[in-house]
Amino acid sequence: MKHWRTVFAAVLYRDLVMFQRYAFNTVSGLITLYIVFLLIFFGISKFDGGAVVSASTVESMIVGYVLWSMSIAVYSELAWSITNEAQVGTLEQLYLCPLGFGFVNACHLVSSLLTNVLFNAVLLLAAMATTGRWLLIDLVSLTPVVLLTLGGVYGIGFAVGGLALVYKRIQGFFQIVQFIFVGFMMVPLDVVPWARWLPLAMGNELARRIMVGGQRVWHFPVGDLVTLVVTAAVYLALGVVAFRVAERVARNRGTLGQY
Amino acid sequence: MGAAISVTPSASVALEVSGLHKVFPGKRPVHAVTDVTFCVPAGDVIGLLGPNGAGKTTIIKCVLGLVRATSGVTRVFGAETSNHPGRVLSSAAAVLEGARNTYWRLTVWENVCFFASLHGVSARDPAHRRYFEGLLARFGLEGRLKTPVRELSTGLKQKVAVVSALARRTPLVFLDEPTLGLDVETAYELRRLLPELARDEGRTLVISSHDMHVVQAVCRRVVIMSGGRVIADDEVANLLALFRSRRYRLSMPGALPGDAVAGVRSLDAAARIEVEDGVTKLELQLPAAAALYRLMDLLRDAGVVVETIVQSEPDLEHAFLELVRRERERQ
Repeated sequence: MKHWRTVFAAVLYRDLVMFQRYAFNTVSGLITLYIVFLLIFFGISKFDGGAVVSASTVESMIVGYVLWSMSIAVYSELAWSITNEAQVGTLEQLYLCPLGFGFVNACHLVSSLLTNVLFNAVLLLAAMATTGRWLLIDLVSLTPVVLLTLGGVYGIGFAVGGLALVYKRIQGFFQIVQFIFVGFMMVPLDVVPWARWLPLAMGNELARRIMVGGQRVWHFPVGDLVTLVVTAAVYLALGVVAFRVAERVARNRGTLGQY
Repeated sequence: MGAAISVTPSASVALEVSGLHKVFPGKRPVHAVTDVTFCVPAGDVIGLLGPNGAGKTTIIKCVLGLVRATSGVTRVFGAETSNHPGRVLSSAAAVLEGARNTYWRLTVWENVCFFASLHGVSARDPAHRRYFEGLLARFGLEGRLKTPVRELSTGLKQKVAVVSALARRTPLVFLDEPTLGLDVETAYELRRLLPELARDEGRTLVISSHDMHVVQAVCRRVVIMSGGRVIADDEVANLLALFRSRRYRLSMPGALPGDAVAGVRSLDAAARIEVEDGVTKLELQLPAAAALYRLMDLLRDAGVVVETIVQSEPDLEHAFLELVRRERERQ
């Protein structure tokens, strides 16, 4: 199976070259996210009447903000890249890969995840330096929790990507979904227990416990871990199924390469 | 260039399309392709010819699995699209009409390497690398390897798309409207290069176009489509011969009398009769060779003196228009 390695390397290289050529875009995106973070941070301080905001509030906000930033990057990579490929007229060429578009897309998702992690590591460092609150970066605990959290987001990305295949011009809906993510993360799980089954909600809670509370992944109640795994698996599976259905509809309507 | 095609065709038939139907759903369903059947032997160069909306692109996309056929079967080197899409795509590449087909932000070389890699053909292999370089040189792109595609002219962009498809080294290549929007010089170059490549590398080319000159210059055989149906499937030479033997241009002084006009119309209702500077120019298609004697008789009986008579040298454009006209009349 040398073929898949060739495709994987080619997609990685293409994405790297594109990343370099769109460096200004990447840097300006990072700066924008940082500015938004500053606004939220100083906003919270003001909201508290100028009093010193509690350390845990700031720390929770950093965790939530970075996880949200990672989520919208993952989600937009999936949904936006399909729209973009259709727009620039290369989507059908990717579908001509004998290993299937799914494989090409998966390679792209891996490469974009690497970029995403790097991008958000910088944002996290900047946020911690600005607030003076240094969080615990326990990679052993964080990696599975973050990946599983993003799994659910990938599911939403696949579903919206599928809609993009059929309807193409869905930018309005696409942007609204990004803000719905904020809602998923803001719901207090102790007040609304069923909200733990929403995408991002349990992941955000567990990431906060690791980074702010210093807990390790093996200290979590089994029920919480099961919730995290099940929500990731279910949303991902639903998203992939929705994408496949949309692919079929697009092939039937002949809209795969149209924009 | 000595190309080693990556997928060795096991069958002598490169492409089979059998009873293909495609209806695009909607409030008013569109019957894009109706009962289309044809096959292409390996190593052949055929043209899919037809006006806009004839169903050419839909057929290509059905074969490649980009559009789902309503019914019918398409096979590439024996592999059926619906059951073995991976095998079909291993043997086929395409330049698709109406799409850029390349990344304009990437350079010429990056595009060729990327799209070839999708078929497992990597520039890291020296043989493939040499092949890419040779192909680019053949298409006159050797001096532009590091140029981003967006900086190239329309013609050069199209050449990059064609090279990127050929670089996948598949035994079957679809070129959907490869000369659309090209200047005369680039179109001419492609017309010269494509048959050369097919001959040198033993590839099967399916060229969809409504540019008759391209098809006549490049293809051995042509499948003519109209309204989603195949209305002719023959070698270009045969189609030309069919019309060559029976099409005539005559010139005569003065206007034709009414009985002569009626006689001419009885032989060919679509005959063109024009009077220019006192000379009648008549162009008509005779139903049989013997009809020429009947034409001469009726003109002589009407007192018309024939000054010149020339057997028209038909081109594919003429054959195409005639076939489409007949098909429309039949319907």
